[in-house]
Amino acid sequence: MPESWLPAFVAAAKSVGLNYGFLLNAFERAAWLNGVAVSVELSLLSIASSLAVGMAVAAALTSGRPWLARPARAFVELMRNTPTLVQIFCAFFVLNMLVSQVVGGPRNNPLTAYAWVVIVLSLHYGAYHAEALRAGIEAVPKAMRESAVSLGFSRRERLLHIELPLAVRFAWPSLTNNMVDLVKATSLGSAVAVGEVTYASLMIWVNGDNVLELMIFVFLVYAVLTLFVAWMGAWVENRLRMPGYGQ
Amino acid sequence: MPQSDTFSEHPPLVRLRKVHLSFGSNHVLKCIDLNVRQGGAVSIIGPSGSGKSTILRCINGLLTPDRGEVVVGDTPVHSLRTEAERIALRKRIGFVFQQYNLFPHLTVLQNVVLAPTRILGVERETAEREARELLAKVRLADKDDAYPGQLSGGQQQRVAIARALAMHPQLVLFDEVTSALDPETVGEVLSVIRQLVQDGMTCLLVTHEMRFAEEVSHEIVFTEGGEIVEHGTPRDIFHAPRNPRTHAFINALRN
Amino acid sequence: MASEDALILRTSRVVPRISPVVWWIAIVALAWLGLAHFHGNTVATLRVWLPLLASGLWMNILISVLAIGIGTVLGIIVGALELSRMRWVSAPARGYVQAFRNAPMLVLIFFATYVFPFEIQVGSLYLPFPDWIKATIGLALPASAHIAEIFRGAILSIASAQWEASASLGFSRARTLRWVILPQCVKRVLPPWMNLYAMITMSTTLASLVGVTELLEVARIASNTVNRTDFTIFVYLAVLTLFFLYCYPITRFTAHLEQKYAFH
Repeated sequence: MPESWLPAFVAAAKSVGLNYGFLLNAFERAAWLNGVAVSVELSLLSIASSLAVGMAVAAALTSGRPWLARPARAFVELMRNTPTLVQIFCAFFVLNMLVSQVVGGPRNNPLTAYAWVVIVLSLHYGAYHAEALRAGIEAVPKAMRESAVSLGFSRRERLLHIELPLAVRFAWPSLTNNMVDLVKATSLGSAVAVGEVTYASLMIWVNGDNVLELMIFVFLVYAVLTLFVAWMGAWVENRLRMPGYGQ
Repeated sequence: MPQSDTFSEHPPLVRLRKVHLSFGSNHVLKCIDLNVRQGGAVSIIGPSGSGKSTILRCINGLLTPDRGEVVVGDTPVHSLRTEAERIALRKRIGFVFQQYNLFPHLTVLQNVVLAPTRILGVERETAEREARELLAKVRLADKDDAYPGQLSGGQQQRVAIARALAMHPQLVLFDEVTSALDPETVGEVLSVIRQLVQDGMTCLLVTHEMRFAEEVSHEIVFTEGGEIVEHGTPRDIFHAPRNPRTHAFINALRN
Repeated sequence: MASEDALILRTSRVVPRISPVVWWIAIVALAWLGLAHFHGNTVATLRVWLPLLASGLWMNILISVLAIGIGTVLGIIVGALELSRMRWVSAPARGYVQAFRNAPMLVLIFFATYVFPFEIQVGSLYLPFPDWIKATIGLALPASAHIAEIFRGAILSIASAQWEASASLGFSRARTLRWVILPQCVKRVLPPWMNLYAMITMSTTLASLVGVTELLEVARIASNTVNRTDFTIFVYLAVLTLFFLYCYPITRFTAHLEQKYAFH
């Protein structure tokens, strides 16, 4: 099923000294495309759950209750001041081992390397989201609260209808940045053999002399993914724009 | 010019007795006594920093006095303890702010509809119909889809009045509502308030618009340094003040 | 008193920052508790691995300092090129920044490791090109792109009125740069530069994936060699803690600087 343009592309690449022969190998091509798909899936899943984590932690940070805010603050600082890769290793080599021991052997352990990468990326970038949202909530003018209070809003209704919608708007540029960083960080999945695009490429180039060629492809994949996320971010920002407010 | 004694038959809707409030060492309110009768319009005037806005915030429970009584209808505001009790009170009292404080992420219509639907549980259709009527009343019928940021200050302030009225309040508190406005838009806001007073809405205003206060109010209260120096009919306060401090304040404004 | 006002203040209050002292006490206490729970055997094993772990950490610090150093020099040059009024100079510089800012650091490290040769020929001399230097370059490239952005942003953020004001006082362009613009730039650049350094330091662990024996790699080898649950837990938590102890003070200090400069 190789389309007709594929051999033409490989031949053209060869004429400038690039060896994209692996594209003509159905098995390697499928493996690599699967890697791209895994990267996309990993990114989307982690973005969604990191936003959920960020909301929850931001709510704790701004709750005004020390028993909630302090652990949340400690979580944020720990996540932001330790390497993501070390967190992944701690999760996969330490926590995963402990889970396996509890459930009686790795066979019974439902958590895969893939799951751990999603968990760590969600927590790590959730901490960054939480900081951005906290700053957003604190940027809501005091007058808005007073206005909502005077209309008879309870604390919960105020948060839901006034403070969060405004905070998300203030925090959105930072959230978009965090999401772009998250997409780039999915490449760390390769460290624990999650078959995303970096790992899939690694598996191909160890068998051939086509490192540079695959490297170019990998860069392009991340460029497209990060541009897409940045573009989606800009689109949402535009949708959330409050006409006449701010700049 | 309505006569104040025609209102003395009505029971007071708002009653403040010996209200004291301080922030730290700053004694903001000293023994404030104040009545607002049902359907009455009372204006509080006086130099800035004399505690005028603080009085309004004590009435809707944004602030709780250190001593004294604040009663709205039959609700003792000074002794409300829970948030739920204060929320019940605030549903009955409209508040219009100096800086309008509209919600910038909602359209004009959504601003007016939000509280009735979410807080009072009014059906959306009913709430929207009423909101449009109110917007027509403040002469902004064509602006329902605009965002607050797209409106002039005077227009925003009229939306804020419509938002307060949408809760069917017994009483509306106006906190220097024209102070942040361009001179040319002050008039449109004042005429909306004038209409409200004529319709019999109970209004308590803090204002710097002396001419307007004189024209529209049934009673004027002059405060200075956290005390009520003098109160009386607009004619008495503006033309025959008994207290020399009132006299000095009014004269300073005239010149 | 003003109860509702207090409520509003409470919800808007900045969450109290936990004092660093509390952190240190907590960490020392945890470490002590951890040590107490391991049998003597673990402590002995740890003593064997400690010198290697220390040299691993040294490698992280070395790579991070070199990468930020190279990145800073390169970044200032690229940032200056970006500000050029000539499009054929500024456009490639912008391309460089966009490319290296948007590529994952891990992929850049792979790139540096696999694409550069393992030795360089200078005349008849063959100089080895070890992996850790390649990893350093892999980190210096994105660092330079970030620094170019920081530098460019700082220069642009200083109002053109200052150039005019200085010129009217008789300052030359070079003197304006030296005495008016750069001192303000340093204040604006320092906090993000330090944040970047913390980020680069944390990214040095990526070098373990191309076989550089830095802290995380040593920890992995140690954990696999000793192959005991308690030791594995301990060694990975130690790595986590060491990075925290190195990076947290940097971010704290950065936040402090940001607050201080925000009012000037």
